[in-house]
Amino acid sequence: MNGPLVRIRFDGNGGTYRPGDTLSGEYRIESVPANEVKAVEVSVLWYTEGKGDEDLAVHDFWRRSADDGDFDLRRPGRFSTILPRSPLSYRGVLVKIRWCVRVRVFLTRGREVMGELAFKLGDVPAARAPLAAALRVQERRELPVAKAVLA
Amino acid sequence: MSLARNFRIVPKKRGNRSTGSKVWGKVIECALSAAALVAGAIALVVVLVKVVIPEWRVNHQFVEHTCVVLQTRLAKQEGADGALYRPEARIQYSVNGETYVTWTYSIRGRYAASRAEVEKILQSLEPGEEYTCWYDPADPSVAVLVQTYSWWSWLTLAIPGSFILIGIGGVVHSLMTWGKSAERQAAIAQRTAHGASFDPSRRSLPDFPHVPKPASITDSPGTTLAYRLPSVTGSGWKLLGGAAACLGWNGIVALFACVAISGFLEGRPDWLLTVLLIPFLVVGGGIIVYFLRYVLVASAIGPTLVEISEQPLHPGNHYELFVSQTGRLRVKSLEVVLACEEQATFQQGTNTRRESLRVLEQPVYRREQFDVRHGVPFEARCLLEVPAGAMHSFKSEHNEISWKIIVKGEVDGWPSFTRSFPVIVYPPSNGSNGNHKR
Repeated sequence: MNGPLVRIRFDGNGGTYRPGDTLSGEYRIESVPANEVKAVEVSVLWYTEGKGDEDLAVHDFWRRSADDGDFDLRRPGRFSTILPRSPLSYRGVLVKIRWCVRVRVFLTRGREVMGELAFKLGDVPAARAPLAAALRVQERRELPVAKAVLA
Repeated sequence: MSLARNFRIVPKKRGNRSTGSKVWGKVIECALSAAALVAGAIALVVVLVKVVIPEWRVNHQFVEHTCVVLQTRLAKQEGADGALYRPEARIQYSVNGETYVTWTYSIRGRYAASRAEVEKILQSLEPGEEYTCWYDPADPSVAVLVQTYSWWSWLTLAIPGSFILIGIGGVVHSLMTWGKSAERQAAIAQRTAHGASFDPSRRSLPDFPHVPKPASITDSPGTTLAYRLPSVTGSGWKLLGGAAACLGWNGIVALFACVAISGFLEGRPDWLLTVLLIPFLVVGGGIIVYFLRYVLVASAIGPTLVEISEQPLHPGNHYELFVSQTGRLRVKSLEVVLACEEQATFQQGTNTRRESLRVLEQPVYRREQFDVRHGVPFEARCLLEVPAGAMHSFKSEHNEISWKIIVKGEVDGWPSFTRSFPVIVYPPSNGSNGNHKR
């Protein structure tokens, strides 16, 4: 028997967005009786991965709860938000910034189930490991020296 | 499509994405906080009942009276660090027609290490003489010969007090975050920070969230270009630290050296001390040489100034840069580079560690074999290009991406020097890597 499932889907291109774009989509909760869902939280957030401790910031957040009179929380829900100008998604060596939509479903008896769908904000290319090779002194751009004192 | 995440058998320990049981984590956090609160409360009651309240009562509630000292003695107790002493006097006094005889001195009856001080107190008490005493109106059989406050008894309140504060803080935090997801907690914290609404279109968000503000690096106007960049070499602190290390180490070594030399002068040389001193003297000499060399480098290689035409920077754009180097130097090479570094802070056991890695270093300017004369600085202008696909500056609690202009110099007869000037790179306004030339 399958356990509870959370399915998330983006409208449109499905993955890469620019700052100021509207991110919208839909989530569904499956394989769980209606009376077992106590609350649903939807967050559009970024978190860091890599060597450092994790940082997390929520850009947008919605919560539906049975306590607020929402009796069938299994109904598919929609989300929509305008994406911020930063931080952009980044795949560095020590630091990675990942954006995602996270849906957390709170069930009876303290159980939780979570679904997450990543997307990319901006198109910053991945950083490469130490670029010692980039020390090449070429492509030097020099304006006429104004007051250089030479020997 | 995304499916529910499968939880790992072996939990991930670090970060908010830890996969251990959150319920048990909260229960243990709350229990530990409550235990600290209870332990602090018990300790507070003990300190109040045993130390603070008795002393306060002696000073405020005990009744002044007269007594006759019948006998004195030096009470002794064996402590962990040797014998401890306290004065004791057998006194007689009458209250409401009833006569009391008791051994006493102070309410705490604390033992002290100094026998001489205790003997001095006993000498001041002459048997058969009358002295002032204070008795407890609630129990007249309790009396003392001195009214004292021990400063340390009030200080001891700080220990249970800190336990209580930690306990209350922990319990309140546990209850406030109980049943709340990491996202909901972050949302509440951000709502508090940016205004009540969580609707991104209505709340007062910073223009570029998590990009450092350029205020600190744009408040210094330049003389040639718009902004003079601040340097982060911290040479003043290095100089101060070096001086402190030099004085501290060599001061201690000098004391031992004096002892060794006086031994030689008195004809009783301590060869073991002398031999042991040699490596310390060598290290001390090394510190002096390093310090003097640093002072000479700092004074001979004058300050480096860097000015820029515009701030903050944007990927794909070009900026004019002005570099000035003072001093009296024969420069083998002077190089300016634009660098991007990633910095990560993480907990390793009980230590907080910070790791840094340069992920991009782009040459901007280089000049070789030239002289800088005293009073006539070397000055150069060049173009700085921020790579079109560059990541913007970023700062969060444990992670950072920073950009800086680095000036590296190699000078004849001196060690090479490096000076850093932080800059802030903003994301492109449309988020793409557009290469819009200016």
